[in-house]
Amino acid sequence: MCGIIGCVGREDTLDTLVHGLSKLEYRGYDSAGVALSEAGDDGADGSDGSEGGLDVVKCAGKIDDLRAALEGRETSGPVGVGHTRWSTHGPPTDANAHPHVDCTGRVAVVHNGIIENYQALRDELSTAGHDFRSDTDTEVIPHLVEAGLHEGLDMEDAVRGAIARLEGSYAIAVVVAGEETVFAARNDSPLVLGVDDGATYLASDVPAFRDFTDRVVYLADGEFARLDDAGWTVTDVTGEVVDKDVETVDWDPEETGKSGYDHFMLKEIHEQPRALRQCLRGRVDELGGAIDIGDLGDLSPTGVQFVAAGTSYHAALYAARLFREAGVPAQAFLASEYATGVPPIGDALVVGVTQSGETADTLSAMREASRRGARTLAVTNTVGSTAAREADHTLYIRAGPEIGVAATKTFASQLAALNLLSLATAESGGRDVVAALRDLPGDVQTLLDDPRAEAVAAEFVDAGAYFFIGRGYHYPVALEGALKMKEITYKHAEGFAAGELKHGPLALVTEDTPVFAVVTGDDELATKTVGNVKEVEARDAPVVAVTDGQSDVERYADHVLELPETHRRAASVLANVQLQLVSYHVANELGRSIDKPRNLAKSVTVE
Amino acid sequence: MSVRTAVVLAAGEGTRLRPLTRNRPKPMLPAANRPILEHVCDALIDAGVDRLVFVVGYRRERVQEHFGPSYRGVPIEYVVQDKQLGSGHALLQAREAVSGPLLVVNGDRLIAAESVAAVRDAFAEDDARAALAVIERADASQYGAVRLRGRDIEEIVEKPDSDAFRLINAGIYAFDASVFEAIEATPREDGELALTDTIARLVDGERVRGVRTGGLWVDATYPWDLLEVASEVLARGRVSGPDRADGGLERAGSVQERADGVWVDPSARVAEAATLRSPVVVGPDCELAAGAVVGPDVALGRNVTVGANATVERAVLDADTRVGAGSTLLDAVTGQSVRLGAVTAIPGGPGDVRVGREVHEDQRLGAVLADRVRARGGVSFAPGTLVGPEATVGTGAHVDGTVPGGAEVVR
Repeated sequence: MCGIIGCVGREDTLDTLVHGLSKLEYRGYDSAGVALSEAGDDGADGSDGSEGGLDVVKCAGKIDDLRAALEGRETSGPVGVGHTRWSTHGPPTDANAHPHVDCTGRVAVVHNGIIENYQALRDELSTAGHDFRSDTDTEVIPHLVEAGLHEGLDMEDAVRGAIARLEGSYAIAVVVAGEETVFAARNDSPLVLGVDDGATYLASDVPAFRDFTDRVVYLADGEFARLDDAGWTVTDVTGEVVDKDVETVDWDPEETGKSGYDHFMLKEIHEQPRALRQCLRGRVDELGGAIDIGDLGDLSPTGVQFVAAGTSYHAALYAARLFREAGVPAQAFLASEYATGVPPIGDALVVGVTQSGETADTLSAMREASRRGARTLAVTNTVGSTAAREADHTLYIRAGPEIGVAATKTFASQLAALNLLSLATAESGGRDVVAALRDLPGDVQTLLDDPRAEAVAAEFVDAGAYFFIGRGYHYPVALEGALKMKEITYKHAEGFAAGELKHGPLALVTEDTPVFAVVTGDDELATKTVGNVKEVEARDAPVVAVTDGQSDVERYADHVLELPETHRRAASVLANVQLQLVSYHVANELGRSIDKPRNLAKSVTVE
Repeated sequence: MSVRTAVVLAAGEGTRLRPLTRNRPKPMLPAANRPILEHVCDALIDAGVDRLVFVVGYRRERVQEHFGPSYRGVPIEYVVQDKQLGSGHALLQAREAVSGPLLVVNGDRLIAAESVAAVRDAFAEDDARAALAVIERADASQYGAVRLRGRDIEEIVEKPDSDAFRLINAGIYAFDASVFEAIEATPREDGELALTDTIARLVDGERVRGVRTGGLWVDATYPWDLLEVASEVLARGRVSGPDRADGGLERAGSVQERADGVWVDPSARVAEAATLRSPVVVGPDCELAAGAVVGPDVALGRNVTVGANATVERAVLDADTRVGAGSTLLDAVTGQSVRLGAVTAIPGGPGDVRVGREVHEDQRLGAVLADRVRARGGVSFAPGTLVGPEATVGTGAHVDGTVPGGAEVVR
């Protein structure tokens, strides 16, 4: 999914576009760009006259990267278009970022959608001598417009001619050097106009311009819009003017991307089944008991060192245990510590786990390892990110864009992806795990349908501190549960290995400190963790058991958050979802800024 | 000027479809492989609607998660009806989200784009206060029955005692913004505000156009009706949803037609030695083992497994259902994450189905298994069996009648 924007009639065109793009970030944020057009001067005032210019600035990266690229540049003009992109196929590079321009650099196009017949058009245009600079389907459009202009058509006819050639889905906006006009068209992709006195906007979605106007015109498939200093006109394919309603939106623009949820975090928690399906798609063969992650399956590491930070570090701890259980020596390191004190690597594969692929500490650790001759693998959510480009191998977790600063669905997808990595490169057998992974999306849905976490959260909103304990695969979950609680509630929370409690932290446990215990199965690990639960119960601490009900932990618990029975590796993912919900609801009760907690940023690009 | 905003009422549970509605509202139940609500939106968008307002309530996360901020490029705004106090009350919640004239439809019935367009056009041409679609039904007394005088509605009655009615309200309306005041002025019945009560008041003294339509109109009243709905959808080939659209995450099945009436999602794994019999649709991530025979009239939702040598015929198996090797499922409806062990037998209808105190005789129903039912293996289900969510059935048990949610059935 991508987002487009355009505006005419503002003095601060560039700022308007960049602001609008930042509001469309929920549609994707792996590359962005703008194009501004300035009218020509016909020399009527006695000056030399000029042709009018077109300024295009674009880059791979977030809107902030675009801001940095624009820093110090004189990019101006009264009309412009912009684009923010999220690629699922093909890398986000500067060349592939929108806007795309023609051979002369005088036509710029932004596009959301897919041009299905682009290959045929591209072949035809290439034969006619047009020079292509990107791998995108979009780039045929400016060249088609260029061809029309070359034949002597005016801008409107050239754009209409180009669009008549396209098959597929699109919302398109075009600017041409020297024309103070934006042309737009849509088919099967969203496009809406914003109307104000003296200025007109277009965008994939209303939030892009909602700070400037609340009057909107929704375009229908097959309609064209012309934005110029006289205002706006909508026409059909034959050029007939279409009489459009101007509607007033009186809702909060921030709400749109959340599609009915109060926060992006809650939306993303609920997206986990979908994200997991996407992660597992085509990679899991339950009936054959096989995993297919392409060439990565040929890696057979004799040792693995994971480097990561924050939530990703908890995923790394979990993954290291997977490999160790499979008989491969493996350790997880905090990236910031690793980079400044690299351990002996030997033949180990160094795996950087980073959602954004831009985490400075993790990049730095991977670079240090690389410099020492180690093979590196990036496990990331972001196609073409720095980590993906620099590592020898990349495994994508395919969770889709995550807006909430507190990682939720990407953690689940990291755990799933790391299971795939371990199964494909280090384990033999594992049919039961494969089946459990395939059940995972439905099992997560089971938890999301269960409202109990909210009630538990309500019970403990005023607690002095929150403790989380778990053993084995559930130890990283305990750490992650505590991190989530800290991040979004600003309350004190700690996660401990269940067995470690009695070696010190137990001194903190009181009747005012609920303890969340993750216990699944009824094996030795479960029995021992139940023993630790008894220790805290004896200190009168309220106990919340997160359990599949196989052990007798419920006897010592004040509240139970249920999990469906599954393989213990999958159970960790499920337990974490319950803890996410608890933290979310505590933070919500406390009225915290859940999507943007104080002092925190989504991806930490400084060391 | 033509009406381009549609309000979709999707807040109600649909209690008669229990136990399938435990975790989602009726609009999210499958019409073959896609939610009913997707079909409704398709009809609206095909008729030229370019803005959707969803009124959501019961289990609204399921609607929001599925549709996200837009569908087929058409933006969706969500408004919440916290308590389900009738269709008029539901529509009232959309007041702030709508400025001009509007279309209103129920989100839980399959409708045709032509019917939507006919209502919109009739409303635009005529100087009427409202317009609504009417269709002919033999069982009109089960619905909101309508009598026409000329082109206008003369009378509208919910579930009349009389058999004299032949036309029903199809649940597709066009109004101008004054409808909100009219709803507010309507007295509540038992605390509820029904949209039809408001229309009945409008009919007294004002013109309300009745637009006769003949297109697709399918309503699932009871759980087993989902089998008929699936057959209808398969017969019309309406199995392809829009492609991935939401932040790089897939949404509906982008199924492709392999042969006449055989649709398979590209991400599904179908063993060479499995047989697909038309009409059949296989959703994303499904796995069909060697010897499986699936179809005719079968819809498999996403991530369904059909084990070796299992036979599935006339069935709707929703997402994440597992069918063990050697099973036979005829006339079966399963909810999500239903796990059936090896050699499960659902030999098929007809059978008598008990719903509360009512008995529906001779229904062509093998069994309805709600979300997360577990049958360990070798379990057989008598025709007409209903099993509630999260019930567990032990190995080798025979199940008959109605099993409540969460129950454990042992041999």
